[in-house]
Amino acid sequence: MIASIGFLEVLVTGATIVATASPIVLLGLWVRDALRGDLW
Amino acid sequence: MDEVRTAILDPMIGWIVLAAFSVLWILLGWWFGRDSEDLEGFMLAGRRVGLALGVATAMATWVTSNTTMAAPQLALQLGLWGMIGYSLGAVGLILFAPLARRIRSLMPGGFTSGDFVRLRYGTTAWRVFLGISLFYALGWLISMGTAGGVLIHALTGIDYRLGMTVILAICVAYTLLGGLRAVIGTDFLQTVIILVGVVVLAWLAIRRVGFEPMHAAVLAERPALLDLLFPAAIMFLFNNLLFGIGEIFHSNVWWSRAFAFREGVGLPAYLIAGLLWIPIPVVAGFVALGVPALALNVPSADMVGPMVAAELLGQSGAVLVFVVVFAALASSLDSLLAATSDLVLTDLYRGHLRPDATAAELARAARWIVLGLGLLTWLLCLPRVATLAALLHFTGAFVASTIWPIAAGLYWRNASSQGAVLGMLLGTASGLLAYHVIGFYVAALVSAAVSMAVVLIATRIAPDRFEWHELATSSVAAGRSEGGST
Repeated sequence: MIASIGFLEVLVTGATIVATASPIVLLGLWVRDALRGDLW
Repeated sequence: MDEVRTAILDPMIGWIVLAAFSVLWILLGWWFGRDSEDLEGFMLAGRRVGLALGVATAMATWVTSNTTMAAPQLALQLGLWGMIGYSLGAVGLILFAPLARRIRSLMPGGFTSGDFVRLRYGTTAWRVFLGISLFYALGWLISMGTAGGVLIHALTGIDYRLGMTVILAICVAYTLLGGLRAVIGTDFLQTVIILVGVVVLAWLAIRRVGFEPMHAAVLAERPALLDLLFPAAIMFLFNNLLFGIGEIFHSNVWWSRAFAFREGVGLPAYLIAGLLWIPIPVVAGFVALGVPALALNVPSADMVGPMVAAELLGQSGAVLVFVVVFAALASSLDSLLAATSDLVLTDLYRGHLRPDATAAELARAARWIVLGLGLLTWLLCLPRVATLAALLHFTGAFVASTIWPIAAGLYWRNASSQGAVLGMLLGTASGLLAYHVIGFYVAALVSAAVSMAVVLIATRIAPDRFEWHELATSSVAAGRSEGGST
């Protein structure tokens, strides 16, 4: 059973979109912790 | 290996990038760790690490050179299931989230995973566990030291030994300067660099190659890579899942963070880190499927990632890959150096050699152990003995045998010492047998299955009656407790 182009495209594009959002989530958490004085 | 054929960057550019980031990591490590004078500050960052740094350090440590370099390698060897299977490594992080909370609540003064096994199961299980854990840690360190040398050589032509030496020396230097605070602080920046770099490369690769040419070329030349019923790849998927769980459940890298995070942070930190980690092997690995479309001649399978990226993106792409993998290497090497030296310090030095050592003596010894471990890793990396994935999967037979003893020991009062010892020994032996007789893709699977059966049977036949408070009362910090034995 061979994966279609669509399967490959959805898998890779979806993963790349989530990975793109990750640094934004991290920086958001950092700002939140810094404002609360909870970094360390 | 032919340097002229494989090197993409000028060696001078390589040295400039290496020097710039080396200075950056060492300065940041010193700055983050400037207040880590005492033992608890050096080993566990004062036990006050917050959520943002907690998520980042879990992600950065799990995004190793094995993710950025072996994910493309596995995609090239096992196709779609190779990278999807690698993504399942995130399950280990996610499942460790509740364990981290329990570890913090059962052992508020704990230091290492060895502490737990010693107190929970006694001396024999502790020694078997230490053997497995230290073997794995050394394997992982060699794997990353080797990856550092391979990467620098592939991208710049700089000699393997020189590149490997520089990367190891930098990580040892800033871990020595700032302990776990330096490791966790630099991990945040390294995570952001890795994520931005991997994402930029992925979007550019999608635009430059395109899914249709990639799919058509793979279908024509290596259709098995697109086969959703590729048997070895499906076995690999489950194997990698268990391997990841085994690695995380037993390794002091993750336990030391569970002890270092402030109360209430362990569960959300590991959960978020796991969820954000899932797409990374797919994003990093899929570029390897571009090999047939690019008609690229890859001389060594573990070089496929940097070679494809450099082929696609030229000099700037090669620099970007260099920076990303350098960050990935540093973020894992420093964590492993710190956590393994904690294990050596607490469980070998204090546990076996100097049970009456004072906190000040242990703080001094901690730094010497980091240095010694770095030196040992350097010596073992000098001959390039194994490909990254081969080394990685060989250790799978060992670590998967610890899943059940650890999980049962944390939650079941009646999990017994005999079950833990036999589970680890028989699991490892059967996993190694499967590795040699069947293949690398079943080693962790067989090891975990046998270990599970042994732990369950032993718990049924000869149950223990462990008192949880023994973990809390006996695991007070090294140098402040009454002794080292149960």
